[in-house]
Amino acid sequence: MSDQEDLVVKKENKSIESIDENDEDPDDVDFKDSGKIGSLKALGPFIASKENSRNTVYLSDVPDICKDKPCMLGVDEAGRGPVLGPMVYGISYCPLERNKALEDLGCADSKQLTEGKRDIIFNDINTKEYATSCVGWAVEIISPNTISTSMYRRSKCSLNEVSMDSAMGLIQQAIDAGVNIAEVYVDTVGPPEKYQEKLLKRFPNFKITVAKKADSTYPIVSAASICAKVTRDHALKVWSFPEGLVIKDNEFGSGYPGDPVTRRFLTEYIDLVFGFPRLVRFSWSTAENALADKAYDMEFDEPDSEKPKYAGTKLTKFFKGTTKSGEVIREECRFFKQRHLENVMEF
Amino acid sequence: MSITLDFNGKNFAKGKNLDVHYLPAKIDGDGEANVENCFNNYTREATEFGPGILTNALRGYPLMGEKLKVPEGYRGLVLQETEKPISDTSDRKLRLTGVFQDFTYWNYDKVPSNDDPYRQALLLPDVAQALSQPISEEYLEAEIARNKENAKESP
Repeated sequence: MSDQEDLVVKKENKSIESIDENDEDPDDVDFKDSGKIGSLKALGPFIASKENSRNTVYLSDVPDICKDKPCMLGVDEAGRGPVLGPMVYGISYCPLERNKALEDLGCADSKQLTEGKRDIIFNDINTKEYATSCVGWAVEIISPNTISTSMYRRSKCSLNEVSMDSAMGLIQQAIDAGVNIAEVYVDTVGPPEKYQEKLLKRFPNFKITVAKKADSTYPIVSAASICAKVTRDHALKVWSFPEGLVIKDNEFGSGYPGDPVTRRFLTEYIDLVFGFPRLVRFSWSTAENALADKAYDMEFDEPDSEKPKYAGTKLTKFFKGTTKSGEVIREECRFFKQRHLENVMEF
Repeated sequence: MSITLDFNGKNFAKGKNLDVHYLPAKIDGDGEANVENCFNNYTREATEFGPGILTNALRGYPLMGEKLKVPEGYRGLVLQETEKPISDTSDRKLRLTGVFQDFTYWNYDKVPSNDDPYRQALLLPDVAQALSQPISEEYLEAEIARNKENAKESP
């Protein structure tokens, strides 16, 4: 579950200054002042300016036509499986009648696209007039710290829940920003039916389609997928370690446990007490296993997990009041017991 | 066996002020820890849970905490034993590593409250004081007089 407080929403045109700046070449716009990503070049610095232990949400400008004409909206995620780095949820939307713009951008089957091609399409979405006039997008960067702490809560919050909350949060923010949504297309790895049901409950007025591999079927999902993937790649590139680590070119591999570069990273950067830097998702079994091997053992207080075992007084209790030699065992005073106090002779 | 606490008022006053964290976990290790970079760097205020509430995480486990002062009239000490005793009966010596006036108390995914064992245990100083404080003659006499007064009033 992503804490609302963790969300840093940067909306465009918050102040008159930012509107003025938008008239300039978008590449030169200082993202810090405008909070805007006007091109591929601005993406890295934008991400770098945010705290990487928290979630960050970014919404692009909503093209006027999207407030007016009924729109389709695609949802996809990037970086679900890796043990390193954030998971990014992305949405993109455009009017139903402007499907052509997506084709012109080349948003088809994002899995077939190379990193370079994805970067070009992402840049086009934000700079080319035919795209900026009708295509909008938004992403949520879910920090690895948030993923770990969600999955390790007392009442565990699964990655699926984190994902759905993020997807629904982004759709809601698009609605709040004035996007006239008619149809929603969602890519999923899990069973589509349950997901679809949950989405329909929350957004009953939309036509909602949840499908596996939707990013190769629906161009609008492909566009969302590209935004998410490019954002995740950049988030890793600009990752700076509050722990003070410096790694040349941020070479830590794909983040998949099978990648030898990632495996080496996981063995080399272990702090005996704190474990990994918080680029790592502690809740992944790969990370857990590495820590069990190499770091100090750590055991958390988990009194909540104790099951109440009361089943009446045990019959044998009455024979337990004395030791073998006949001494009476004194029960500890309740006052001290309740306050977790006991006699300590040695320490 | 005897236990010697090896410090006096002088090195007590000069004792290094330590940044102490009360963690809800047992760490099976002894040594230096990079607390500043790996932990303090990530402490955030979370006022939505109440004034002074802090959040952080330890190996991915969410923590909620607050800055606490050592109870009034008490001082926080960190003692260290440089030589492990050879047997249970041998003498031991503890040295002063540093002192602290406040520390950060952390719970595992729970806002600190009066339910916490730590806070409950802290009732002891008050109880101990009530039990061991000498009672003055005047106080006793006043108490007796009050009791007599009460006995008269009730029929």
